[in-house]
Parts: sequence; C-alpha cells; structure tokens
Amino acid sequence: MRVSQFLARKTDIASRSSRRIRVGPVMTTTIGLLFVAFWAFPFLYMLLSTMKTPIDNISMPPKFVFTPTADNFRTVLKNPDVLRFLRSSLLVATMSTAIALVLAFPAAYALVRFRRFYRTERVAYLFLLLQLLPIISLVFPYFAIAQRLGLRDTHLILVIVYTYWNVAWAIWLIRGFIEAVPAELDEAALVDGCSRPQALWKVVIPVSAKGLVAAAILIFIGAWNEFTLAFFLTARDARTYPTIIGFFLTHSGIRWGEMFVAASLGTLPIVIFALLVRKSFVSSLSFGAVKG
Amino acid sequence: MSNATFRRVEPWLYVGPALVVTLVLAISPVAYLAQAMFKNMEFGDPISQAPSAGFENFRLAFGESARVLDGLRLTAVYTVFALLLEIGLGLVIALVIENLRRILPFIMSVFLVPMVVMPAMVAMVWRLYFSYEGLVNWVIGLIGISPLNWYGPEHAMKAVIITDVWQWTPFFVLLFTAGLQNVPREIKEAAEVDGASSLQVLRRIKLPLLAPLMVIAATLRVMELVRQFDLPYIMFGGGPGSATRTLPLTVFNTTVQKLDVGVGSVLSLVLILLVVAISWVFLFAMKRARVAQ
Repeated sequence: MRVSQFLARKTDIASRSSRRIRVGPVMTTTIGLLFVAFWAFPFLYMLLSTMKTPIDNISMPPKFVFTPTADNFRTVLKNPDVLRFLRSSLLVATMSTAIALVLAFPAAYALVRFRRFYRTERVAYLFLLLQLLPIISLVFPYFAIAQRLGLRDTHLILVIVYTYWNVAWAIWLIRGFIEAVPAELDEAALVDGCSRPQALWKVVIPVSAKGLVAAAILIFIGAWNEFTLAFFLTARDARTYPTIIGFFLTHSGIRWGEMFVAASLGTLPIVIFALLVRKSFVSSLSFGAVKG
Repeated sequence: MSNATFRRVEPWLYVGPALVVTLVLAISPVAYLAQAMFKNMEFGDPISQAPSAGFENFRLAFGESARVLDGLRLTAVYTVFALLLEIGLGLVIALVIENLRRILPFIMSVFLVPMVVMPAMVAMVWRLYFSYEGLVNWVIGLIGISPLNWYGPEHAMKAVIITDVWQWTPFFVLLFTAGLQNVPREIKEAAEVDGASSLQVLRRIKLPLLAPLMVIAATLRVMELVRQFDLPYIMFGGGPGSATRTLPLTVFNTTVQKLDVGVGSVLSLVLILLVVAISWVFLFAMKRARVAQ
C-alpha cells in the first residue's frame, strides 16, 4: 500500500469513528472525572479536616475554607501512646514481612521450577486455600493458645500469626515474578557448578529483585493495616496502630480533628508506598490472574 | 544421601518450612475449635478443664434462637448488595475511563488509595461521615434528599455497604481496566470498521473477555465480604440491636460478649466451611484462568 493511500484510510477510519462519538469525549471525560472526584473526596476531606478546629469540624454545611490550625497535630503527636503504637506497628509489620519473604521465596521458587516433575500446583492451591480462612474464626483459638504459651499481648504472637497469612500470599506474589525469570538462567548457573541455593542467591534473586521489593511492600501494607488479630491478641504493651481508634471516642463525644490526624498519620505513608508499586498491585490483588 | 533420593526430597526442602508454618498455624486453631464445640466453657476458661456439653452447642446454634440463620441472612444481604454494587460500578467506571487514556495513570492512582487505607480508619472516618450532621447527609442534601438517621437499625446496614463500596469498587475498576487494556486493539478496530455499535462491542467482545476475570474477582470479593469483621464491627459493633450482625460479628458476639465459647466455636466452623465452599468456585475459576494464559 502506498503511503498516501494508507494515510487516507487512516484518516477515513479516524473521521468515521470520531463522527459517531463526537458528543462522547466531553461527556465521558466529565463522567469519568465525576467518578474520580467522588472516590477522592472522602480521603481529601479527611486530610482537610485534620486542620480544622473542633467547631469547624462539626459545622454544617461543611467548611472548605477556614483558618487552619495545627492543634490537632500537636495533641496527637504529644500523646506518647500514639508514637508507641506506631513503633509497634512498624516492628511487627517489618518482622513479619521479612520472615514471610524468607520462607516464601524458596517455596515459590520450588513451586515454579519443579512443576514439571511434581504436582506443585496442588501445593500452591493449598497455600491459597489456607490463606482464605476467616480470621475471626481463628482469632479466639489463637487467643487461648497464646494465653497458654504466655504470648498474649506480645509482638511475637502478632509476628507469628501474621507470618501465616503473609507466607501464603507472598508465595503467590513471588511465584508470578519467578515465572517471568527464564529457567535457563539458573540452569546455566547450576551447570557452571553453583549449588541450587547459590544459584538462587546469585542469579534468581538479583533478576527478580524488583518483584521482590514490590511483594515486600504489598505484604508490609497488609500487616500494617491488620486490625482484628491485633485487636484481640494484644491488650496494652503490644498494641498496633490500627487498634487506637477507640482513643478518640471520649465521654464528651468524638474528638474529630484528632481522629482525622491519627487516620492520616497511619495511612499517608502507606498510600505513598502503594503508589510506588501501583502496577504490581493490580496483578497481586487477583493472585496473578491479571498480569500487571 | 544418594543422588536420586536427594532429587526426590529437594523440592520439599524449599517448600517445607513455609508449608509447616502455614499448616501448624492453620490446623491448631481449627483443632481447638473442633474440641471446643463440644464443651461448655466461658471465654478465658482453659479448655482442658471444661465439662463436655455433648451436642448442646449445636442445638443452641441451629435451634430456636437460630443465631446461625440470622447471621447468615445478614451476611447474604451484605455480601450480595455490596458485591453487585461494586461489580456494576466497577464495570461502568472502567468502561468510562478506558477512553481517558492520557490521564489513566492518574485515575488509577486515585482509585488505588481507598484500598490501601487502613480498614480500621476507613470504618471510623466513615462512621463520622454518616453522623446525622455529617458529610453524607450533606451530600445527599445537595440532590434534595432529606437527612437520614444512618445510625438507626433501618439504615445502618446500608451505611456499612456504602463504605465497603467506596473502599472496594476500585478493586474492580483496576482489574477491569487492566483487563480491557488486554483486549487486542485490532479486534476493537476491526469491529469499529465493520460498523459495530459500541453496545455491540461491549456485549460481544469486551464482556466475554472480561468474564473469567469477573468470576475470579467476584469470588475473591465474596470470600472477603463473608468473613469481614473489622468494618461492620468498628462502624456499629453489629448493632443497633442486631441490624449489622453478620456471621463474623455473631461469632464475636457469642464468644466474647456472651462468653459462650462452645456455641461460638460451632459458628466459627460454620463460617470456615462457608468460606471453603466458596473457595472451591474460586480455585476452579483460577485454574481455568491460569490454563488460558
């Protein structure tokens, strides 16, 4: 086909389709942006409300222009418990993420590479199934077991139970990343005289590093956000951040501003993290059914 | 160790530690429940000293007071409405923003946010938004609806559903958008050249291609909704009365508030069986999707 013909056909298609959907673009853009605004608004309003005085916070209609105050931040950050709980969360989430990755990486590797010889697919689904058990059904037995072992209200018990949910999820995440690494790569290392653990360490990990980081961030977010287990298995010493919500319900009502500050402090870092791994996020949510 | 034996055990050396940890932490609580459901014990009692209750706990759980049925009914209401709204809205939004190619990364980022916000904070913040003088009543006031008492038994469940819809519709938006981008360009263009209307393209091309994804996403979400505890608990604690007491909240209410570990264990196992049953559908869909790739 000659260039001019080709271009003519192209413009023909373009003009035909644009004729049909001429009203489309403006409308769809507007509707699309309305949806976006609707989903962004509650979060932005929360951020905005952190800077309102108690009076402004309960004024109706809501105020969007007001004199900002830093009082809420000051009160919340002065509360030693808030910082202690943040530290607790950081410790538990980091530890359980690290342990989950150490356990999950070799497992995920084996499930991918030995697939030809063994029924590893079944094992993978067993992990998935176990990860789906309802937390609320297991938390009270955990409570009793932890009490007997003297582990109640410790960081350790949270790290242990989080590891369980994280490992299975991590295996599925990492499996997707390892599937993308050509088998020839680590086989070449084996032929060159590496042992398999060496090949893992020197070849597979560096090649899939990006995926591992994404997996780590996703697992960290899950552990950081977890409420139910933390709420029932800890009492005072090992409380994590999501469980502080009760703090702001006082006898004199809800302290809105401080509540919004606490919510923002706990979520903003996570939101930033999540945006960094946006692409892997989509694929991980569906256990790899969608390639990110 | 001979070479052949080593090759046989080798995969288990890698999978073993993860499998042992997961199995121990999954089986031990289930074994505890299986014991406790035959016991007459209060929350906090050691199970070894609790007297046997025979099948009394089953009678209480399934019998006249029918806690299981109440919990199941509310779980069904919650799950069905939240799921349908999320899928429907998710599909509409994905189809609309599909055309906004240039700002798509920005839009996807916005929709990512609700999903990663702490559920505990989502519940608390939305609980505030649902107060009588709150944001939600102001917004519906803008379109002429008079304020509702969201904290009352009539609307509390709707409030929980709306909150979940806000947090998890983005899940479907992101998945469907990713799915739509995988629809080969040539197919869409060919259909357009052949004069297919956009409705036809949707019905004949886009929806069939999205269908497997939809089944996976929907079952994942159903399992999440059926076992969800934090959102309804923090928003209304299962109340007012028992208006939001889904099965997970019934487990909590029975075990912790009524201190009845025996009946609570029966309910816990019912919930586990329910989730396992749904997961078979999910696993089936997953296997097909993975084979298709």
